[in-house]
Amino acid sequence: MLNYISYRVLQLIPLLIAISVIVFIIIQLPPGDFLTNYVQQLKLAGNDVSESAILSLKAQYGLDQSLIVQYIYWIKDIVLHGDLGRSFQFNMPVADVIWPRLGLTVTISLVSLIFVWLIAIPIGIYSATHQYSILDYVFTFLGFIGVAVPGFLIALMLVYFIFIETGVSITGLFSPAYVDAPWSIAKLLDMLPRLILPIFVIGMSAAASLIRVTRGMLLDELSKQYVITARAKGVSEGKLLFKYPVRMAINPLISTIGWTLPALISGEVIVSIVLNLQTTGPMLLKALMSQDMYLCGSFLLITSVLTVLGTLLSDILLAAIDPRIRFGGVSE
Amino acid sequence: MKLRRKLFLASLVTALICTVALSGCSGNNNSSSTSNSKDTSNAAAKDDTKTENKADNTANNKADNTANNTTDNKADNTTNDAANTSTDGQITEFHQSPALDSQNLPAVKDRLPSDYKLTNEMTEDELKYEVGSYGGTLRTVTSVANWDADVFVMDNEPLLNTPGIQGEKLTGNVLKDYQLSDDQKSITFQMRKGLKWSDGEPVTTEDIRFTVEDVLMNKALTPIFPLYLQSGGVADGAPLKLDVIDDLTFKLSFDRPYGGLLIRLAIQGWRGYTELLKPAHFLKKYHTKYTPLDQLEPEIKKAGFKKGEWVNLFNYKDITNWKLNHSEAIGFPSLYPWIITKATKSVTTYERNPYYFKVDTAGNQLPYIDKIESSLVTDIEMVGLKTIAGEVDFSRESASLVKMSLYKENEKDKYKAVLNNMHVTPTDIFLNLTYKDKNWQKVVQDVRFRKALNLAINRQELIDTIYYGFAKEGDIVDPTFDLDQANQLLDDMGMKKDSSGKRLGPDGKVFTIPFEVGAQAPDIVPYTQLIVEMWKALGLNVTMKTIDQTLWGQRNTANDLQATVIWMHTPLWYMGDWGQSMWAPQWDLWHSSSGAKGQEPPADVKKLYDLIDQALATDPDNAKKIIEQVKQEMNKNVWAFVPLSDVKQPLIVNAKLHNIPSDSSFAIATDFSGEQFFFGK
Repeated sequence: MLNYISYRVLQLIPLLIAISVIVFIIIQLPPGDFLTNYVQQLKLAGNDVSESAILSLKAQYGLDQSLIVQYIYWIKDIVLHGDLGRSFQFNMPVADVIWPRLGLTVTISLVSLIFVWLIAIPIGIYSATHQYSILDYVFTFLGFIGVAVPGFLIALMLVYFIFIETGVSITGLFSPAYVDAPWSIAKLLDMLPRLILPIFVIGMSAAASLIRVTRGMLLDELSKQYVITARAKGVSEGKLLFKYPVRMAINPLISTIGWTLPALISGEVIVSIVLNLQTTGPMLLKALMSQDMYLCGSFLLITSVLTVLGTLLSDILLAAIDPRIRFGGVSE
Repeated sequence: MKLRRKLFLASLVTALICTVALSGCSGNNNSSSTSNSKDTSNAAAKDDTKTENKADNTANNKADNTANNTTDNKADNTTNDAANTSTDGQITEFHQSPALDSQNLPAVKDRLPSDYKLTNEMTEDELKYEVGSYGGTLRTVTSVANWDADVFVMDNEPLLNTPGIQGEKLTGNVLKDYQLSDDQKSITFQMRKGLKWSDGEPVTTEDIRFTVEDVLMNKALTPIFPLYLQSGGVADGAPLKLDVIDDLTFKLSFDRPYGGLLIRLAIQGWRGYTELLKPAHFLKKYHTKYTPLDQLEPEIKKAGFKKGEWVNLFNYKDITNWKLNHSEAIGFPSLYPWIITKATKSVTTYERNPYYFKVDTAGNQLPYIDKIESSLVTDIEMVGLKTIAGEVDFSRESASLVKMSLYKENEKDKYKAVLNNMHVTPTDIFLNLTYKDKNWQKVVQDVRFRKALNLAINRQELIDTIYYGFAKEGDIVDPTFDLDQANQLLDDMGMKKDSSGKRLGPDGKVFTIPFEVGAQAPDIVPYTQLIVEMWKALGLNVTMKTIDQTLWGQRNTANDLQATVIWMHTPLWYMGDWGQSMWAPQWDLWHSSSGAKGQEPPADVKKLYDLIDQALATDPDNAKKIIEQVKQEMNKNVWAFVPLSDVKQPLIVNAKLHNIPSDSSFAIATDFSGEQFFFGK
């Protein structure tokens, strides 16, 4: 087991280096940089930005250096000092921009993840054990709607109806008075009701697909020999169900942790934009559009590293659960 | 199962850590935005003694500081105001916002310059000015990080002013007064006596001297001398010369007539005051002429620059006009009505400048409103929702005509949606006459071709479909719509049609006009779609592609755009924007570099450039005559298509907000006079 883990960890190092290079190349691919973008915006508004000012800003932000030099400085600061660079658009260190938003993002994603599991797994089990019953059809129908309708559309419609019916505009997680207030009980209470909508919207499609997955997996398991044997031996129906088949059926939950971790961080971008949530998703999109290079670079890097770590984690967990994988990894 | 539980616990701990990290950031509570007003204008202690600060109106003086305005406004402002003024119109008693009472500041009279500026120079048909009351928070919204166009315009203080940003007349603003010599080769400026930076330090000619001699003339700090500060505003004019006469008087001289500098200092390019007036007392701390380099090293290191890079440090510390509302401007001395005091990722707060130099006729120091809070939203569409929910007190930049019916439908008592005038033409059409393809150049440089295309534009259809009737036919280029005549012109040029009815270019291939547009405004894409159909009716092959705005900018600079659609600033004639950089980037480059770069334009274009230069170099009265000639040239040559004018711009204002100019003024001018807004009951 230890062998297996260290082997997988060592594999990560070249992978991470390659990822950081690719990330940097990707954010440099679009034409221009933050400054050209910004200056163009000012010029279209009729502002007069002198050539001198542009030159000095270029030097100030290091945009006059070659790409390789920029990359080396960037990666050196991250590795040696944990410094992610400076966000151009906010004009503050990238870390100061990312971390506060990360808290909210993780909260929302985590709560919706739990929400999804709490809803989807029981329904999935019910659907599988009561195949072709009325409720199975109802859940299947709702599930397909949940999968088919994009989250942002549901969000838009809900925002619209809530505003029309109640006059309350769901613009963000806090009412204006609390946006920048320090954390307090009052702020938490202000946030809670506003949290319901995004969690519902984000959770809906995920729950729908998870229902289908659980149902399918469980149906596969239920027809297997060991279940029939257990039933023949007179094991009670409940114990029979939860002892093995359900454990096997929720296997996808573990094997997809690799994707769950980065998803926790990046959040539902479009839903967050529609609901004006102060999460990381919209920030990343904006950073990409305005070519705020260090901000999106750092963000993509963090997300990639998390994907890699998540995959490692699910590999290890799967190996712990299923010996076949462990031996397959280091068969020699 | 155990492992899963552990994993679950680990995630919870992570969430907890993040929550703690999250609570570490952010600051104090917001105050509510109710307007706690106290009508200071009622304090009516009579004092008729003449003060020593009588505004001296010199013979040559166009800058009206007090006399004009006082008479204008007195009519509206009845008895209370008269009580505070002496017989010659001088205000003798001043009032301050209650918000400043507890701040341990010098008396308001000592903070104000004795040459204070009276606000509102707009005419009564543009704004019926009321004396306001103090208090309140103005909430604005922006979708761009670290930038709020509405606050920028509201805050901006140019050296001189032009009422209603019309460019009709020029008055003093940060500078009190100016005298233009008869030959227009020198301008003498008077500064306001007792004017102070937001930190209480006096503003004098030393600040001007420092800016010109130590910053503008320093090659390291200013590698490229600003074009508009060269004589005549052209590349071969000599740089301006500065003579400091005394603490409050200075003179700028040129080697050729350059009265046009006045309008450029007043409004053109939203320059504000910073390019000629920087807080010397603050910036000297970062200039090697006054502070030895080794003393600067710790600061340089702190700011993250390499050893010896004092120039970068200076540029970082020196906040220029369009950055004065950025987070890095906190603590930088300014002359703005509101100065930035706090910036988080979601809300930026601006608070009143206790040393602001403007007062109303009742002696109340402006601005009336104590605070501005600008929230950042993730998407411009969110601005619409926030607006109709009544969470916005003022919005111009993000309001669009397309949404006018939505605004009106939800108006109720929270806000008003008013229509003012737009300060740009509503979207013009450009063919790049200098695009590097010879075949293309041959066709588009033929005036018959451009005239034919102009004749094929159905303006009424554009006005009705895109602007709901809130626009007019433009008067710069002939607005006739006549397809037969247009076809005739194309036939005359020899552009034959092939078997499928498409017109051929001189190279015998189908001639294509490929539009590439960015979505800089919501009207651009549907507008271009209509134009494409209109021009297709002539048998031309017209295509359209929407591209990213940044790519659009890049392609424009690289002379890669062949045909596009964007607005110009022609209603603000002093911008000198006749689309030159859009319809002829290479010629424009030749012009702006005085022939050093780009391609030499033909004689008729040179004539146009010459007229524009003249208009920008001479005084406003003369300039307006020359602008008429420019328009004639534009009409004669149809370099660009300017189908429409006078489009309306919606403005969202809190229903309680007063001193909002009428619909006959520019929306951006309303924004510009923000310091006189106040919340009524």
